Amino acid sequence: MTIAAKFIQQSGTTYQAKQTEEIRELAGSHILCEALVREGVELLYGYPGGAIMPFYDALTSYPSLHHVLVRHEQAAAHAADGYARATGKVGVCVATSGPGATNLVTGLATAFMDSTPLVAITGQVAWSLIGRDGFQETDVIGVTQPITKHNFLVRSTSEIADIVHEAFRIARSGRPGPVLIDVPKDVQQKKAKYYPSAAIPSEAQVKAAASPVPSAYLLKQAAQLIAQAQRPLIMAGHGIILSNAYAELQAFAEKTTVPVITTLLGLSAFPDTHPLHIGMPGMHGPAHTNRAIGASDLIIGVGLRFDDRVTGKVSEFAPNARFIHIDIDPSEMHKVKVATVPMVADARTALAALTETVAADDKSAWLSEIRSWQAADEEKQQKIQHQDELPDPITILSAIRAATDGEAIVVSDVGQHQMWTARHYTWTRLNSHITSGGLGTMGFALPAAMGVKMGMPDAPVWVVAGDGGFQMNIQELATLQQEGVPLKIAIMNNGYLGMVRQWQQFFHSRNYSETPISGPDYVKLAAAYGLTGMRITKREEVEGAIKQAMETEGTVIIDFVIEATSNVYPMVAPGSAITNMIEETGEENA
Amino acid sequence: MTNITAPTNRSGQSEIPQTSASSHTLVMLVEDRPAAVDRVFGLFRRRRANMQTFTLAPSGIADVVRITVVVDDSQVAVDQLVEQIRKVVDVREVVNLQSQQAVTHELALIKVNATNTHEIIELGQLFGAYAVDITSETVTLEVTGSEEKIATFVGRLQPYGIREVARSGRVAMARGAGEP
Repeated sequence: MTIAAKFIQQSGTTYQAKQTEEIRELAGSHILCEALVREGVELLYGYPGGAIMPFYDALTSYPSLHHVLVRHEQAAAHAADGYARATGKVGVCVATSGPGATNLVTGLATAFMDSTPLVAITGQVAWSLIGRDGFQETDVIGVTQPITKHNFLVRSTSEIADIVHEAFRIARSGRPGPVLIDVPKDVQQKKAKYYPSAAIPSEAQVKAAASPVPSAYLLKQAAQLIAQAQRPLIMAGHGIILSNAYAELQAFAEKTTVPVITTLLGLSAFPDTHPLHIGMPGMHGPAHTNRAIGASDLIIGVGLRFDDRVTGKVSEFAPNARFIHIDIDPSEMHKVKVATVPMVADARTALAALTETVAADDKSAWLSEIRSWQAADEEKQQKIQHQDELPDPITILSAIRAATDGEAIVVSDVGQHQMWTARHYTWTRLNSHITSGGLGTMGFALPAAMGVKMGMPDAPVWVVAGDGGFQMNIQELATLQQEGVPLKIAIMNNGYLGMVRQWQQFFHSRNYSETPISGPDYVKLAAAYGLTGMRITKREEVEGAIKQAMETEGTVIIDFVIEATSNVYPMVAPGSAITNMIEETGEENA
Repeated sequence: MTNITAPTNRSGQSEIPQTSASSHTLVMLVEDRPAAVDRVFGLFRRRRANMQTFTLAPSGIADVVRITVVVDDSQVAVDQLVEQIRKVVDVREVVNLQSQQAVTHELALIKVNATNTHEIIELGQLFGAYAVDITSETVTLEVTGSEEKIATFVGRLQPYGIREVARSGRVAMARGAGEP
């Protein structure tokens, strides 16, 4: 992987500079910090507690490690996740044993599902107490095993440095993911010899970081399928972003003129404004995109895993298509759809090689056909009258984009607003869309955006959240205030857990069980945290409010009161074919 | 499109009836580290693999254990499962041994009532079994071989009154120079 390769060079340089240092005897907690510095870590998100106290004691001796005190460990994991997604570096979070560690679980699972490189460090009770139900003891290795790429229980102080470097290597190699290191308190306290040489990547590591080019045979097969296809489509996923394959994807699409679909996590991997871009697939994708998949005879899937929200009913997903599947994880091959050409490779390397192999082509007739479907759909949409005067998602999103010249990084939470954001924002800045896709973690946006902003301090960062999810990690407003991190927050407040309400409307006979939800006065809430708050109830005030938020220093919360019963259209019922969509008629709530 | 071989028409999500499922022998070499076996074992549950036997013992390599698992593919395609196992950091190697290319064996200890000790021991000889413990009340026999052979032997001992059966589960090795 590129990121890994770059990094190994960096850590090699760091080592050269430090090589003259003598081997020293250090406490485990100091070795932990030394190893983190050597890995290039600048930011850690965490929360102290009994079993991790030696580490926090050592931390003050390492001013290059900036620790951010979150208000709940879940937020530490999300913030590290956001930081990693925005920067491509490994995010780091820290927690104590027991409840501290178990609070990380949702964040680790989120990172695991979306393949984010993360290293979590947890304190553990002293070695002698493990297995004896000590105070704040939890079997964190057991608990996090299914939601981490790997985890380590450190048994002796002398292992710490090696384990830290190995953890970073695992987190960022191949298909990235979270790695947890559980360090018993006495292991942090004991002393051992620290060898800075541990930072040198082994030859095997360097080799593993270099991605092999797919075999000529597979490339030839793929090129042949592409040449023969009448209705080919590229489906681009998160893998494009993870492997930094933007330019390669664009070159490949342009040479073959194959239309490009970006999945939820693939949004902003390919500019929405590019003539070949035709939308997002699946449950809330536009009708013409799903119709194109239904009609396609070749799907070129790059860095995606054909999630059930993308495919709907698998047997009716692209029923006439053959599949070329490019993914770095061999276990994704044939998992959902059998691939005629399975290519286990880094997206960037594979796309570059494939672009060289394919012949330039012109499939514009197929693109025109898709565009004609799109035009017909859009004409139908325009006939639907939205009378109300409340702020609406499309106006809000367009105003954010206009006020930031499309340069904002937008972090969305989970639910209706997430789908509106995915669909109605025009993604042109690369890697500017950050959301919890696989796990669908409500409460993700606010802490993740904090990590994004701290990793990319020059970019305007907008949080788009619902009133439900925002309240799930609302305590992080205090962290933003303490750290002086300026976020702009748009709450789409409909007084409902909107997506669940929508499902109740469609699939549960409008039985709105436990979906109406109240919230605080966000203007007062903002003031209580020393931040700025606004409440907007009229559509014509949206643009002005967003401009004002951009001009105001520090974090600004805008509470947009939107139509309570707006739905996300179109929608595919779970388990249905994606070509069978529920579309808006304008009379749903009559 | 003649040179493009058709892939097997079977994706990773498997929903075939138990009766038509086929069984597979997976052999793994796994680093002998804390939680390593846990990781492998847990994976079978998470990926809905139906395990029939699971054996674990030291391999010929220091600090590496050998795990042999018999699974059927009623819930998961085995190729998919193998790739998932390969991703476990502690797993050095995993192979799906085809039965015709492998020697597979199981060991069983069978304790029967000593109703007719001579007859029991003679019957055992037909199956290559040894008496490993004889008391006035019981005879314990040790037998090795295929699952079918052991099942047949157990069936033949039934009339004498079986007290206890302990089976090791399958261990397997590739024939010839094949690895592992």
